[in-house]
Amino acid sequence: MLAVETSGLTRCFGPVRAVDGLNLRVEAGQFFGFLGPNGAGKSTTIKMLTGLLAPTSGSMRVLETDLSTTAAARSVKRRIGVVPEDLALFDNLTAREYLTFIGRMYLLPSETVRQRCQELLAMMDLDREEKKTTLEYSHGMKKKLALAAALLPNPDLLFLDEPFEGVDAVASRMLRDVLLGFVKRGTTVFLTSHVLEIVEKLCTHVGIVAQGKLVLQASMDDVRQNGSLEERFLEVVGNGQVEKQKLSWLEE
Amino acid sequence: MANPTLSHLRTMLWLRWRLTRNQWRRGGVVNVVIMFIVVYAGLALAAIGSVAGLAAGIFGLPYARPVEILFVFDGLIAVFLFMWMMGLVTELQRSEVFDLTRFLHLPVALRDVFLLNYLASLLCLSMAAIVPAMLGLTLGLAVGCGPAMLLLLPLVLGFFFMITAWTYRLRGWLAALMVNKRRRQAVIMGVTLAFILVFQLPNLIVNVWGGPGHTRPPQTPEGLAQWQAERQAEEYETEAVFNAVHQVVPLLWLPNGAKGLAEGRVWPALWGALGMIALGSWGFAGAYRGTLRFYQGNGTAKVPAASPVTNTRHEAGKTIFVERSLPLVPQPVTALGLAVLRSMSRAPEVKMALTMNIVIFGVIGAGVIMRRPGTAPAELLPFLACGAAAVTFMGLTQLLFNHFGFDRNGFRALVLLPTPRRHILMGKNLALLVVAFGVFSVFLVMVTALARLRFSDVAAAVLEFAAVFLIMSVLGNLASILAPYRVGAGTMKATKMTGLTALLVFVGHFVSMAAIVPAFFPPLLGMLIGYFTPLSVTVATLLCAAVLAGLAALLYWQTLAPLGRLLERREPKILEMVTHEVE
Repeated sequence: MLAVETSGLTRCFGPVRAVDGLNLRVEAGQFFGFLGPNGAGKSTTIKMLTGLLAPTSGSMRVLETDLSTTAAARSVKRRIGVVPEDLALFDNLTAREYLTFIGRMYLLPSETVRQRCQELLAMMDLDREEKKTTLEYSHGMKKKLALAAALLPNPDLLFLDEPFEGVDAVASRMLRDVLLGFVKRGTTVFLTSHVLEIVEKLCTHVGIVAQGKLVLQASMDDVRQNGSLEERFLEVVGNGQVEKQKLSWLEE
Repeated sequence: MANPTLSHLRTMLWLRWRLTRNQWRRGGVVNVVIMFIVVYAGLALAAIGSVAGLAAGIFGLPYARPVEILFVFDGLIAVFLFMWMMGLVTELQRSEVFDLTRFLHLPVALRDVFLLNYLASLLCLSMAAIVPAMLGLTLGLAVGCGPAMLLLLPLVLGFFFMITAWTYRLRGWLAALMVNKRRRQAVIMGVTLAFILVFQLPNLIVNVWGGPGHTRPPQTPEGLAQWQAERQAEEYETEAVFNAVHQVVPLLWLPNGAKGLAEGRVWPALWGALGMIALGSWGFAGAYRGTLRFYQGNGTAKVPAASPVTNTRHEAGKTIFVERSLPLVPQPVTALGLAVLRSMSRAPEVKMALTMNIVIFGVIGAGVIMRRPGTAPAELLPFLACGAAAVTFMGLTQLLFNHFGFDRNGFRALVLLPTPRRHILMGKNLALLVVAFGVFSVFLVMVTALARLRFSDVAAAVLEFAAVFLIMSVLGNLASILAPYRVGAGTMKATKMTGLTALLVFVGHFVSMAAIVPAFFPPLLGMLIGYFTPLSVTVATLLCAAVLAGLAALLYWQTLAPLGRLLERREPKILEMVTHEVE
């Protein structure tokens, strides 16, 4: 079963083709790392797959459902959890209120919502400052709350846009364990990250995108056959970019 | 090598200019045009003000009575303070210029940054408009009335120094308070509200207590003489209080000094100038000490209060507000309605909008009724009752017509939800129903108490409120989908508005006013039915109000599904408008 499938997916912003004819296939149950340099089109792709952005052309299927109709797209939303790039929090709600709100919108029974909220808040270490609204949260705390909201409905597919950015080492470790647990029970995780070490440690498969185009998609085992993920990444996105520019005053 | 302080000053001035320019530019072409108009208006005001002041001083005021010179300066001070406080409120919402932490890592001393920042803060429209006018007036008076009037110069400078120094101290104090983001919103709201109340106070006093000179002169000669004597005694008393106030209140030492100089007395001007310079120095020194404490950690104010670990673990079994259910209302609607309501109850900008509504009603409406409570004719009572319903919506247009602009990044959460979109609209409307009904209840109680409304009038008003709310919700849902705009956190200020959206919002305000009109149909029709048929006006009004509410409910229900579909189609567009740009 395919969790994500795109065909010729394209998104233009004026003259810029942020995503350019992307053909992607992610099997269900994979821990998929979607990599690429800044501005490569990763976040734009996630936005299109999660309904936050309409594609200019091309088709998308998520959990075997064609997203071309709004009704189908909405039905898929019941089965996915998302941590978007800029999060999606309401400034004036506390963590518990926000999670309760999300749980109820997913039509979960109130006892389930309460129990999961309690567990998620404790796990994310957010239960000690319950009176704070998200406006007062640090970036890391916001990230953890957004992640908790994505996990709350127990989704079949998780889209995580830079989930480790701004998260402390303890939370990062906890987060990795949680995600591995989700994958173990059959959930597909689709994440973007700039931290290649984490991706290499966690992901079973990777896709690398550059200038809106998919330049590599393979299993992590295949990638490692020719060196580390970082080496392969630099190789496919272009070594020229890593050549250090000379600074005139350093040469003096 | 260039003087580093001067070079820094130039840089700070440049920075201030660029920040202002970029902020206006982000708002689009219209804002750029407005910015240029403001800049050139400032320059023109400075030129015209100085010339007009000079001319008035040379040709007009030498022939005026001293008290008239005092009134001229009083007027100039009032205009200046109004403009100055407007500027302060605007600056509070964008604290770049007075956030010194942004400069402390640079090779510049805190004292220099403090001083330069203070000087840079003087460049504003209010100073450009009033300082040249006052200086021109001073020079004109010196030419027209004699060189003794030059003593006005230290008075004028002392006045501006005092005001700017204490404002600077106030800003520093507020900046320290605003380290906490949530408190920041409350500070902005508090200052804005205080500003509105201060300038509405005279209006409120006149409306509620009537103000002076409301009795008519009696017709008999004896009565007239006594009346005149009383008026004269009142005038003497008023003048004495007026003079005393001018001698005691530092803000009025400038007009008091000017009057003294016109009367040939120099001491009020000298003492006034010295007093204001001393007060200004005190304020300035305090501002500097506060800044040092805040940024160098030598006092209580400077260290942002660390949030105590509250350890308020959720008590098992305790239901929180957003967990509650409402009978017959679908769960997602309740969940969203309660979440939005909880969010709004914590948002200072919403509280401010609601308070403003009540203040305006209190100042304009209630004041008029309070002057003659219970004297409205019976035919007018149903109109007064439905007036309470109508006024409720006048101050709520921005909330009703821009549901998603206040969500900001939270709107993404709504897009990601699997919930039918009509439920999202219903949830939003449900939250606003509670808010609007709260405001309406306050108004209705006020009108009922003051105008002695009957039960039937109140019942009809509730039905009329329901009808207008439903009509406004339909229009508000449509406007929120078609013309959303982002509202800055903690303010009611639009931050990302295109020209087309601005136009639609402008039109929306007129449409919202038109939507209020049906509220007046029931009392009007009731009156006509009562006049032409045997049915009583009261019963007819109630029936018409019930029919109107029913029709509005039908309209709301019929439009909900299509508007939900429209929302679903427009979600990406709305996202672009109300969230941060990331592309």
